[in-house]
Amino acid sequence: MLEVDNVSVNYGAVRAVHSVSLSVDEGEIVTLLGPNGAGKTSMLSAIIGLVPVAEGTVTFEGQNINRLDTESRVARGITVTPEGRHVFANLTVEENLILGAAIRRDADGVARDLETYLDMFPILRERFKQSGGSLSGGEQQMLAVVRALMSGPKLLMLDEPSLGLAPQIVDQIFKLISGLRDHGLTLLVVEQNAQEALKFADRAYILSSGNLEFAGTAEELRTSADLMKAYIGEGVS
Amino acid sequence: MDSGRPRRRLWHVEGARTLRSVRGATIIAAFAVGIGLLIMLFGEPYQVRLAVAAYINLILVLGLQIFMGNANVANLAHPGFMGLGAYLTSIFAVPLVIKKTLIPNAPFGLGEVQLGVVSSFVAAVSITGIIAALTGLVLVRLSGIAATILTLAILVIIHGVFVHWVDLFRGTQAFYGIPKVAGIETMMIATALVILVARLFKDSRIGVQLRASATNMLAAEAMGVNIRALRLIAWVLGGVVCGIAGALYAYYLGTVNARAFYFHAAFLTLAMHILGGMRSVTGAVVGVALISVAMELIRHLESGPVILGAQLPDLFGLGSLMLGVIIVLVMCLRSDGLMGGLELDEVLDRHWKRWRRGG
Repeated sequence: MLEVDNVSVNYGAVRAVHSVSLSVDEGEIVTLLGPNGAGKTSMLSAIIGLVPVAEGTVTFEGQNINRLDTESRVARGITVTPEGRHVFANLTVEENLILGAAIRRDADGVARDLETYLDMFPILRERFKQSGGSLSGGEQQMLAVVRALMSGPKLLMLDEPSLGLAPQIVDQIFKLISGLRDHGLTLLVVEQNAQEALKFADRAYILSSGNLEFAGTAEELRTSADLMKAYIGEGVS
Repeated sequence: MDSGRPRRRLWHVEGARTLRSVRGATIIAAFAVGIGLLIMLFGEPYQVRLAVAAYINLILVLGLQIFMGNANVANLAHPGFMGLGAYLTSIFAVPLVIKKTLIPNAPFGLGEVQLGVVSSFVAAVSITGIIAALTGLVLVRLSGIAATILTLAILVIIHGVFVHWVDLFRGTQAFYGIPKVAGIETMMIATALVILVARLFKDSRIGVQLRASATNMLAAEAMGVNIRALRLIAWVLGGVVCGIAGALYAYYLGTVNARAFYFHAAFLTLAMHILGGMRSVTGAVVGVALISVAMELIRHLESGPVILGAQLPDLFGLGSLMLGVIIVLVMCLRSDGLMGGLELDEVLDRHWKRWRRGG
């Protein structure tokens, strides 16, 4: 579904990603791991078109999308929930969700999806008129994911969904994420929390200082203490 | 069969939202027009004149709010667009006899043209909109400080054109003879309509997307929000509303002078906008009302009145000083303004809920 072929990304004079190749097949959950500053977010930004690709090609559903702007990429079915507090604190939950459907023109479909997701996540219906900033961290992350879903994506990319959340909430969020696959979504999840991400992912890539260090199945990485130690570091055990 | 359900749900989302906006706008407009009605019924003639000035300022501030409040880009060009609305209305509406003495060398054969009151208004506001669109094409390519500096440049350029294109705008001399057809009633109706437009825009999908991009540009872009296109729409709509303020100004006073559309107007309305709260339509009403009253009180103080038997000294310039102080204080203490981004109907609903729970 998504093919990233020898892609490099520059930030000004600094090269953030060096000739990285990765792929995501339909129905998969793929995780992109690595320490802070490894170029994970740059990779996502290049895929969604927020930063230009310096070298290489990004192909989505067989078509080269290097030259498309973000709007067109979202319209083709790629969506990202950016890193950090992704929720617009000044907007209500309702407005956040409508925003997710910014590129859609089928009002009927938007309304139908909204109902479906509000049924799936009743807490959002409860908080419908409240400002996004009044939600708890976990609720905000849930809102960010559902907002991304409102664009009707085929490929959903999540940037650090566990960031700043309590461990039991992280569990919930990852259950939500893996549940999305059953709804026909394909996922690319950027994480620092390798342990959690590997529980749900099919395949994993590890980036370090902008270079691809590992590509393989999540199983491989999970079961090999050496690999974990080598690439993810001592902090995670 | 099932086809009825999605339609109902669509109504639930879009229709209900629109209804809520209209309801909110009605409450805000009732508040804004209510003050004017009280002044009309019980006020002195000079207080009615002050109210008219306040309504014109309110329309101008609403024009400012549509762009600045939603896109969160500081704008200083709005008096320029007001001036365009005022001058163009005058040029079209002034009777030919007067026009021959005012601008005998009028270009484009405008010296031979006289339109009706409504046609002049429509033509003036449309041309203002076109000029706003042309400037907007450049503006939306910039962001942050660069964009604000450009709005300042636009104000200076428009003013320069008024002052130096003597054949069309009479330079620094006043343009007079415009039919005085607008009174406080016209102002109240126009204000109510503009409040409705501003609120509908804020709550529309475009408004939501703009406000999102104002909080976090990158996140909004990642969702496919086309920030440039949306800013352009807001800029043109805001410019048109400022043009309306200008046209009404000309039809009320009957005379137009370029000085009225320069820095003083920019800072006065900016202070109003900031005091009330930029993100809220209600904030525009509150800011204009408070500063209009305050400026009138200050005007009395400036002339050194006798209070409780004590002769106070003359305090010229107190008004400008106070505007500066208000901007500084609000920015330091409550950068979100008095309304803090809330609308009157939202505040009322909140109190109503609390009151019902308490009782």
